[in-house]
Amino acid sequence: MVNNQTIQIRKAIWQIPALIVLAAITAIGTNAWRSDGIPLVGDWSVEARFSDTAGDSMVISFEQAAERFEKEAALFLDARPQDQYLEGHILGALNLPWQEVDQHFMEMADRIDGSEMIITYCDGESCDLSHGLALFLKEMGYENVRVLVNGWTVWQQASMPVD
Amino acid sequence: MLPTKQGTIVLATLVLRLLLGAVFLYASFDKILHPEAFAQAVYNYQILPDSTVNLVALTLPWLELILGLCLLSGFWLPGTTIISTGLLTVFIGAMVYNDIRGLDIHCGCFSTEITEGPGGLSTLIRDILFLIASAYITFRVFFSQRVALKVSKQ
Repeated sequence: MVNNQTIQIRKAIWQIPALIVLAAITAIGTNAWRSDGIPLVGDWSVEARFSDTAGDSMVISFEQAAERFEKEAALFLDARPQDQYLEGHILGALNLPWQEVDQHFMEMADRIDGSEMIITYCDGESCDLSHGLALFLKEMGYENVRVLVNGWTVWQQASMPVD
Repeated sequence: MLPTKQGTIVLATLVLRLLLGAVFLYASFDKILHPEAFAQAVYNYQILPDSTVNLVALTLPWLELILGLCLLSGFWLPGTTIISTGLLTVFIGAMVYNDIRGLDIHCGCFSTEITEGPGGLSTLIRDILFLIASAYITFRVFFSQRVALKVSKQ
């Protein structure tokens, strides 16, 4: 006689792929049908990830950002939480934590000159805080906004001035 | 009537199963509603190859929804409990892995909203409790004939 355990294992062997296939078919089907569906294979390149609402890339290269820094031709905005900003940041950068942007934006708005370039940054290749902040600033009417991807790390690696 | 101890075990298994089912169901909704935001959360984990991020981000919430329904209804429990335990193990592993390599990311567990904050210790403890519940239900389904027959319709 086959015991209960064997019966359950046999069931599991076909139910596991069946459940996964069912989920995948439902997911792909509804994604194709809905208006805000996403491509099945996404473009996660740096250029595509850090783009504005029109699809244009907002990325600034480290070299360009450093040149702007030397000429004092850009305002650097640190999008990380305040404790990380206080531990260390790009020299002269202001802190506008993306997760608390609603509370801090008004006080910061007075210090942002709309005509100069704004460069947002956070830390890590996949960090999205700087991108979120950049999109927000564009929405608020600032035209010249760029993102320095993985800013805090690349800045330190190049031994650029920090505070 | 079942003996008291057996009855308690059956009841406890049923309650845990319904709770876990509700958790999976709840976890799936926001992710199904906001596929783009959830894909970003999956991408942020930096574990999957870029080309598979969207497919996983689309399928995972539906799998959670189906698992939730199966746990609530007692349908296909052998397959459901194995996947549920496996998924929770992977979720915990992914969180711990990113914590060890110092990647401070938004966990994307229940909501795709950025305000949920990064996955911290409380998230980890919560997921470990879910995993224990799931592993216990799996154990009951596979190793207890009476309970399994009682609980599972299959």
